Amino acid sequence: MTAIVEGRDLTRAFPMPAGPVTALRDVSIAISPGEYVAIAGPSGCGKSTLLHLLGCVDAPTSGSLVFEGRDVARLTERERSRIRLTRIGFVFQRFFLLPMLSAWENVELPQAEIGINPADRRMRTRELLDYVGLSDRGHHRPSQLSGGEMQRVAIARALANRPALLLADEPTGELDEDTGEQVADLFDRVHADGTAIVVVTHNPVLAVRSGRRLAMKRGTVVSS
Amino acid sequence: MTSRALAWRALTANPARALLAVAGVAVIGALLFDMLLLSGGLLVSFRDLLDTAGYDVRVVATDGLPVLRVPIPHATALAGDLSRLPEVQEVAVFRMDRVVMRVPGRRPDGVTLISVSEGAERHTWRITRGENLSTAGYTLERQRLVVSERLATVLNLTPGSILRVRPTMTGVASAIPEVEFNVVGVAEFEFAMADELTAATTRDGFEQVRAGAAPGEDEADAVLVASQAALGSEAAARAISRLRPNLRAYSNEQVVAQFNQNGFAYFRQISFVLSSITLGFAFLLVATLLTVSVNQRLSEMAALRALGFSRRRIAATLLWESAWLVGVGGLLALPLGGLLALELDRILRGMPGLPERLHFFVFEPRAIMQYITLLIVTGVGAAAYPVWVAARLPIAATLRREVVS
Repeated sequence: MTAIVEGRDLTRAFPMPAGPVTALRDVSIAISPGEYVAIAGPSGCGKSTLLHLLGCVDAPTSGSLVFEGRDVARLTERERSRIRLTRIGFVFQRFFLLPMLSAWENVELPQAEIGINPADRRMRTRELLDYVGLSDRGHHRPSQLSGGEMQRVAIARALANRPALLLADEPTGELDEDTGEQVADLFDRVHADGTAIVVVTHNPVLAVRSGRRLAMKRGTVVSS
Repeated sequence: MTSRALAWRALTANPARALLAVAGVAVIGALLFDMLLLSGGLLVSFRDLLDTAGYDVRVVATDGLPVLRVPIPHATALAGDLSRLPEVQEVAVFRMDRVVMRVPGRRPDGVTLISVSEGAERHTWRITRGENLSTAGYTLERQRLVVSERLATVLNLTPGSILRVRPTMTGVASAIPEVEFNVVGVAEFEFAMADELTAATTRDGFEQVRAGAAPGEDEADAVLVASQAALGSEAAARAISRLRPNLRAYSNEQVVAQFNQNGFAYFRQISFVLSSITLGFAFLLVATLLTVSVNQRLSEMAALRALGFSRRRIAATLLWESAWLVGVGGLLALPLGGLLALELDRILRGMPGLPERLHFFVFEPRAIMQYITLLIVTGVGAAAYPVWVAARLPIAATLRREVVS
């Protein structure tokens, strides 16, 4: 089966005043359709850096990245934006919902961005809010939602354009245990519905539900 | 959701900040609008005043201020010569002098007495009470006088009042005999100064007053000429200069151009400097607010970029935020600036020695167009830096920084 995204010998170094710091060193990884991968490891080991590379929001210093058969290095900024908008969903630790928009509008926003017509947007948004169990909170602003509810809205937003790959960076990092478990349940459902997931987490509850676990240390994958 | 709507929601999410910004832009915009009105207002008003007179060429003896000019001799013959020029339609002889007017039981007052050729008075004053000098069938033993509203108030004059007039002899005690006048009307004078008492009489009346000081004179302070419409004022001025090279003939355009180069240059410079300063303030205000706003929302913008929102979309949203602030503030600035202009105009028009009908702040469509253009340039310019910051945002680094912080 062709991988959705495949990285070969990915290295990412950040220039620093005291000299470059290598956050990721010669990592090779492939994510297949429908796969559920958890990446774990201590802080600063390069998990988020790898996730950002897989999500096309950052470029490797060396190595190659191919997304659905296209060499990401050869894509324009606009084409990478388009891939992120249509093929990838992002879930962040701190949710990053737009505070001035309601939950409904936050979910609707990525759909509007690719030009889905209003009637279809409404249908999809209703479906997604129902999917994450927040159909009655659509008109609430993020400030009126709990952390778990905000993260569920963020997941609905990430799924809005039916991505092939959902990337989540510490999605339970800001949540208590029970709420984290609800989010983990939601990821299970998303995975069961056929979306590939890569989740960076310290949360063993979340990691244990994945089909493949990668352990990272000092910028490299130490076990798989 | 469009960029415009998203920008509006972002602004209204912080209503206090948005209101303060709009208020700031409104105040600055009002000042800018007023400076633009001032930059051309006096010139437009001056031009309008000249055109109102109905004469488009002025003939004088020498250059310089009216009070320092030498009178034109043999005015009657000159008027006749000019009226025969094919470029000329109508000629009026204008006389002006300072006189003292006295009514029984009141202190004498200094008044500007003018005289224009018969028929020209319709361009020079407008009767509000009583009758005009040339009213047919109005016969009086005394010379006729039309007085300004202000003079009528000061000397308590009404049509039918009698007063005595003698010329003012600067620096000497005058024993010149007084001439008795009968007030036939009260009028608004087109060129009257705000602080000036004005009266007009017939040529006979004027010469009778002047006879005591300069018997037998036939002078004019200026000769006013209306050109043939088909040939234009420039042609008339050239023809007059050819006919009488010793005199100066100026079309209204030339008078306005001279005024623009000399007296008006100060207002233009002041207006330019103050406009630039107000634009600078508007730019700094909007640029600062947007930059602060963008810096507070860096992670939000990085997340949007990570979700696939293009740089163009982020830039458009910020430009719209700037447009909303500048647009709403700029719209509110118009009535505010209008009121401010009225008040400033009232104050400036109180300056002595200015025609009462002259305005400093004159509304023109050109000023509105300039105002809108400058606001658009300011809005776009002010958004440029925050747009650049947001568009160049390193997505991964910003998200990482947010998590670490």
